Amino acid sequence: MIADRSSSEDAASDDVDGVLLALAEPTRRGVIDLLKERPHRAGELAEAFGMSPPAMSRHIRVLRRTGLIEDERTREDARVRMLRLRQEPFVLLHAWLDQVEAYWRDQLGSFKDHVEKKHPRRKR
Amino acid sequence: MIDNDGVTVSVVVEVDAPTAFDVFISDVDLWWRKDPYFRFTPGRQGTMRFEPGDGGRLLEVYDELGEDVFEVGRILVWNPGVELAFEWRARNYEPGERTEVRIGFEDIGYGTRVTLRHVGWSRLRPGHPATHGLVGDEFHTMIGGAWSVRLREFRGRVRARGS
Repeated sequence: MIADRSSSEDAASDDVDGVLLALAEPTRRGVIDLLKERPHRAGELAEAFGMSPPAMSRHIRVLRRTGLIEDERTREDARVRMLRLRQEPFVLLHAWLDQVEAYWRDQLGSFKDHVEKKHPRRKR
Repeated sequence: MIDNDGVTVSVVVEVDAPTAFDVFISDVDLWWRKDPYFRFTPGRQGTMRFEPGDGGRLLEVYDELGEDVFEVGRILVWNPGVELAFEWRARNYEPGERTEVRIGFEDIGYGTRVTLRHVGWSRLRPGHPATHGLVGDEFHTMIGGAWSVRLREFRGRVRARGS
């Protein structure tokens, strides 16, 4: 029995699909890891992965299109484009994985109860 | 713990690793949660069973003859006392789509640390119900259960357990 999803849920699930697609590629996962530390310039990212700027730009476009990263406006120099993570898509993905984690916590808890009851430690 | 590809959960059980592995496999129907949320066919509850060894499978069996089954996945790694891995597919997966469950059994002296990783979420096709990040019915369909109200109860129980 699957309830109809509201349009806001549809938009949210598109975000999660995008996040998962974007993260399916190792270079993009690496870019995300770097941006977790701090914002980076596009050129820095290309250097970090030994890529030409156009090659890295393709990855950056995917990450921007899926809403994972955005430009950070700097006051010092408007020409320097700093890229940073957006939080919202990770919140949705983590909400999903949070459920998976809770599912397995419950299952492993049940396994622990069972195996320790079946094979109790000897009392001292 | 959550990372970009999935989740990791671990528990320490106070038995040795070979025993933990053996009971995990042989007694799966005794410890696997019976709540429909944890089952694979809405409206039906069967017997959970591992066909052991390489080439084995994790099944939910609905009849005595073992012909009416839901195959959760094939066993990918069979290393008794050390490691178990199997595919994980629920009803709304396309042929060829799968996630993976990998379980390590680590001897820590007074017991065994059982570490479970459920990974491969980034490999699912876009629009797969399992990837619809919000709570509720899609998740239940992915796992195989049916009742949306159970999710709130379930999470309440997990939190109350203090895990």
